Amino acid sequence: MRYKYLPQFAILIALMVLVLMSSSLGAQTAMHSIVVESPTMSSGETMPRVYTPDGRNLSPPLTWTNLPEGTREIAVICADFGAGNPPPWVHWIIYGIPATARGLPEGLPIQPGQVMPDDVAGAIQGHNGWRRPYYRGPAPPRGTPHLYHFTVYALDEELGLGPRLTREDLLEAMEGHIIGRGELVPVYERFGSPE
Amino acid sequence: MDGNRKKRKGRTMVMTRRELLRSAGVSAAVGASTLGAVTSYAKTTQQSENVTETTDAYEQLTAEESRLLEAIADHLIPSDDTGPGALDANAVRYIDRALGGALSDSLDAYRAGLAAFQRYCRSSRGGDFMELPHNDRISALIDVETGAATGAGAGFVGSSAAFFSMVRAHVLQGTFGDPYYGGNENFVGWDLIGYPGVRTAVTENDQQRLEAGELRPYRRSAYGWEEFDKATVSAARKGLRHAD
Repeated sequence: MRYKYLPQFAILIALMVLVLMSSSLGAQTAMHSIVVESPTMSSGETMPRVYTPDGRNLSPPLTWTNLPEGTREIAVICADFGAGNPPPWVHWIIYGIPATARGLPEGLPIQPGQVMPDDVAGAIQGHNGWRRPYYRGPAPPRGTPHLYHFTVYALDEELGLGPRLTREDLLEAMEGHIIGRGELVPVYERFGSPE
Repeated sequence: MDGNRKKRKGRTMVMTRRELLRSAGVSAAVGASTLGAVTSYAKTTQQSENVTETTDAYEQLTAEESRLLEAIADHLIPSDDTGPGALDANAVRYIDRALGGALSDSLDAYRAGLAAFQRYCRSSRGGDFMELPHNDRISALIDVETGAATGAGAGFVGSSAAFFSMVRAHVLQGTFGDPYYGGNENFVGWDLIGYPGVRTAVTENDQQRLEAGELRPYRRSAYGWEEFDKATVSAARKGLRHAD
């Protein structure tokens, strides 16, 4: 019979496809997960006003653990994927953070002459959505809660990037070098009637 | 001052001076200012014991408004090691005079904007603008400039960015415009940018000396030249109301 072994052959093919799919999925899920936390913020919780223009608009403190082995440099992007045209609206970019850093302190410089704290010496703040080289916090329309993704990237190389990079520039520069990633996603909403 | 003008160090502000000047097209503002602010420089001199204090009597802005506007202007174009700033140029006096003349339509916007700005500083940073630490003052100005202060409940009419833009434009005019209008006192704005003054003719030799930094500037208002007199200026000099 010509088709005597067809069922076995079909099963073999199906098994091979499954193996290929699982290895492919494995490759996608292999990204090392960094634990991102903050002494003052939590994912899903409201950001303190002090990190918004309703308060002093300081950059929030972040900490990270479980960096992958081989991390040579760290970068952080804060973006709101519910704003911007096209989204996301970028609130903060900071890169060139030394691999020895275990976080970012509160209130990083907003003026060109100010130096970075020792722990993050050499780090550069890129251009946010306002094309400013520093953190600017959430200012969503009243009555609409927005999510703010603080994403930490571990890189396998010191990229030696210059100043004034945008999020797109940074993502392009980091392509192929990201070996770990983690997020903290707090919420912010402005209350009251519109002005 | 010329030698120190090249690079900015030390004190910083919302924009760098270079950015501020570049974006404002200062040379055009200097040469072609057509604002009709009345130039009744009302200086009053108060003497107390051995101290002589000279203050400008503002005509449109209240004392509180003018103090706040002076503080804002001082952050936009500060006096520092690169040269004099908006306060040295008396830019706020220019704005005050203009609000009684050519810019009278903006008076309500100033009143509302300055009050909203002070409310914003109190609600977000816990104090009046002048009382805040330098970094918080810069931060508050950035929020007003970017429009982020708009939804903070301070009562800005429209976007806070529109208020900032208006103030910035007028501070530039007051610093670099013709002194006839009440700002650019002692030509400090023109000196700051190396403007050689109003000239009816520029020879090749003048041009070469200008480029070499050797041309002595004319420190004279455009209206100090008969050729540039205009009917409205003549009328103002005769005590008639400025019609611009």
